[in-house]
Amino acid sequence: MIIKGRERTSPIRESADVCIIGSGCGGGASAKILAEAGKRVIVLEEGGYYTSQDFDSTEQTAYSQLYQLRAGQATDDLGVTVLQGRCVGGSSTVNWTTSLRTPEFVLRTWETEFGTEGLSPADLEPYFTRIERYLNIHTEPEAHHSPNNRIILDGARKLGYRAGANGRNTKDCIRAGACGLGCPYGAKQSVDVTYIPDAVAAGATVFADCRAEKIEVAGRRKRVTGDVLDPETRHPRTSFTIEAPVVIVAGSSINSPVLLLKSGLANSSGQVGKNLTFHLTSAVLGFFDREIYPAGGIPQSVMCDEFLNKKGDGGGFWIESVPVYPALTGLSLPGFGPAHHAMMRQFHTLGASIVLVKEIDSAGSVTVNDHGRAVVSYDLGRRDREYLRQGLAVAAAIHLAAGAKKAMTLHTQRTEFTDPSMVDRVLADAHFGMNDLTLFSAHPLGTCRMGRDPRRSVVDSHCQAHDVKGLFVIDGSVTPTSLGVNPQVTILAIAEKNAEWIASNFSSLTS
Amino acid sequence: MTGKRAPLNLPARFSTLAPMHRHSPSRRRFLKDTLFGVAILASAKLLPSSLLVAQKQAGQSAALLFFSDAEYRIVNAAAARFIGTAADRLVDNNSIDVGLRADRFLSTADDEIKEQFHLLLSVFNSAIFAFLFDFRFSSFVGMSGEHQDSYLEDWMTSHLGFRRTAFQALKRLSMSMYYTDSRSWDALGYQPVTVPEGVR
Repeated sequence: MIIKGRERTSPIRESADVCIIGSGCGGGASAKILAEAGKRVIVLEEGGYYTSQDFDSTEQTAYSQLYQLRAGQATDDLGVTVLQGRCVGGSSTVNWTTSLRTPEFVLRTWETEFGTEGLSPADLEPYFTRIERYLNIHTEPEAHHSPNNRIILDGARKLGYRAGANGRNTKDCIRAGACGLGCPYGAKQSVDVTYIPDAVAAGATVFADCRAEKIEVAGRRKRVTGDVLDPETRHPRTSFTIEAPVVIVAGSSINSPVLLLKSGLANSSGQVGKNLTFHLTSAVLGFFDREIYPAGGIPQSVMCDEFLNKKGDGGGFWIESVPVYPALTGLSLPGFGPAHHAMMRQFHTLGASIVLVKEIDSAGSVTVNDHGRAVVSYDLGRRDREYLRQGLAVAAAIHLAAGAKKAMTLHTQRTEFTDPSMVDRVLADAHFGMNDLTLFSAHPLGTCRMGRDPRRSVVDSHCQAHDVKGLFVIDGSVTPTSLGVNPQVTILAIAEKNAEWIASNFSSLTS
Repeated sequence: MTGKRAPLNLPARFSTLAPMHRHSPSRRRFLKDTLFGVAILASAKLLPSSLLVAQKQAGQSAALLFFSDAEYRIVNAAAARFIGTAADRLVDNNSIDVGLRADRFLSTADDEIKEQFHLLLSVFNSAIFAFLFDFRFSSFVGMSGEHQDSYLEDWMTSHLGFRRTAFQALKRLSMSMYYTDSRSWDALGYQPVTVPEGVR
C-alpha cells in the first residue's frame, strides 16, 4: 500500500519490525528484501508518489515534483548544484539510467584502507548479477546511440581513447529522451516501478510526503517522528510517529547525516556529515553544423572510461553524454544577454558531454544550520582540480575530433576552442574556483562512511551504526570513497546484501 | 577568448578588505563570512529604509506574494539583461513575466531563503553600494541598459565571493523562470516528449 500525504489529515501512529526512511535505491531495495523475508516494513518518503501518468516531460513539472529543493539544491556558495531525486524511487526516478558495477579497484581500496568485510568483487558478484537481471540492465546496439552520444564514441575512437556502451536499466525503451524528467513510458526500471511495487506486494506500507525529523532510541525501541506534508505547498499537514526495533536511514548523502545530527545519534566518531564526495561534474559543449538535438534520444548510452585510475592513484575522470533541456542549459551556459541567447538558439546543433571527477583530495561536508536544514560545503582539491582540467581538455578534443566547429567549457568567462592545439594552453589559464565555472553533482556520497574502526567511520560493513544496535544507514552515504562511476548499482548491491543480513539476524538485533 | 579574469573593477581601498582565498562564503549566511560582507550587512541594516530602494513598501501590489513592487521591478530589469531579449526579442518580454514567476517560486521557499533574497536585492540595487563597489551613481534599475550589463559583468567576475554568488542566484532564477515557460521553446526548436494517446 502506498499512502500519499493528501490522504492523511489525522496523525499517523504505527509500529513495524523495520522502519525505512527513504525510498530510493537503498531504501527501496531494503524494503523489498525485508518485506519478502516476512518483516513488517514501513517506508517513509519525504517526496511525493508519482507514476508515468504524472510525468509530462517538462522541466517545470519534474523539478517541482521530483527533485530536492526543486532542483535548486546547491552548496552554500552556489558553486555546485546538487541534483537529487525527492520522490518515491528517489534519484533512480530521475537519473539517466546508467547502470555500472563498482570498479574493482574501489572495492579493494575499501577493504585495505577502511577494513570493509564482505564487499569484495567476489562477494558482490552474485548481487550484481541478480540486480542486472532484475532491472534488465543491458547495453544498447550502436544503432541506438543518439547523435549526442555518438560524439563521444566517434571522437574518442578517432583520438584512440577507449569508449563504449554503458549499461542501462530499461525495458521496451523507445528512446524518447525524458529519463531525467521521469520516464513517461514506464520503461525505465527505476526503484519506483520495481523494488517498491514488489515490497508493497510483499506487505510493505509506503507513506509518501512524510519527512522524518528525529529518531529517538530507548533501549531496543526506536521512534521516528516527523511531519506529513501537503503535496502542493510542502507545509506540514499533520504528524507521524513510527515505532520499530530496527530503523534504516536511507535518505541520501545529504539528508541522512542531517537526520542523524538532528537526532544526536551515531556520531561518536565525529564523522557524520564528513567525507562528502560529489563525483564532481562539469561539461563541454560542442557547436556543430549538423543536427544533434541533445534533448532527444537516449540521454546516456556511451562512456569514455579511459582515464579512470589510469595513473593508479585512485583518481581520474570519466566522460559521459548529458541530455540538454532548456532551463538547465540556460543557467549553465556562460555569460548572459544577447550572446547567451544566441547560444541558446543553437540548441538543435549543440552537443554536450560531462566530465565526472573521481575525487581523491577534495573535501566536502554536510552540517545542519539553525533552521534544521542541510548546509553543504565543498572545497575542490588541487589534484582533483587538475583532473577536472584534464577531463575538460579531453572532452573538448573529443568534440572537435567528432566534427564540432567550436567547443566550449562552462567557465563564467567564455572559454572556447576551435582547434585542439588551443585546448591545453587556454585551460591552463582558466580559473577553477567556485562560481568560476558551472559545476554539478548528481552522485553525492560518503557522509556516513562505512569501516571497521568506530573512530574513523559511522557504520560497520553491515551498515549498522557503530554506536546504536538496530540503527542502520543504507544509501550512498556509506561509501568510504568516491566511486568514479554512477552509483545506483553499488547502492542497490550494498542494500540487498545488508537487508538480507538484517533479515537473517533480526532476532539478535531486537533482543 | 581565454578564461582570464577581467581586471578588478573595485576602488583600491576596498581591495584590502576582499577575501584573499578563492572560495565563496556561505549562501545561507549570504554576506556574513567575509569582512567586507560583514560591513555591508551591518550598513544595510543601519541605513534608513528610504535609501534602500527594494525595501517593502506599503503600496505593494496585491498580485505579488513575495516581492515588493520595487523588488519585482529589479528582478524583471535584471532578467531582461540576463535573457537578452532587449536586443533579440524572440519572445515579447512582457509575455513571459519572469518577475511574477519568480515571485510565485520564492513565495514557497523557506523563511531563511526569503530573508536572504530580500537582502540580496537591496544590496544589488542600492545606489549607495553601486557607488561603493564600482563608483557608479545610480541604482541598478536607474541605469541604462548598457550600464546594467556592465554592472552585471562586474558582479559576475568580482573577486568578492559573495558578489559572484549573488550574480549566480539572480542569473539562475531568471534563466530557470524564463526557460521553463513553454513560450520560450519555439525559439529554441525544443519540444518536450509527448506520449501518444493509448500508449501508456
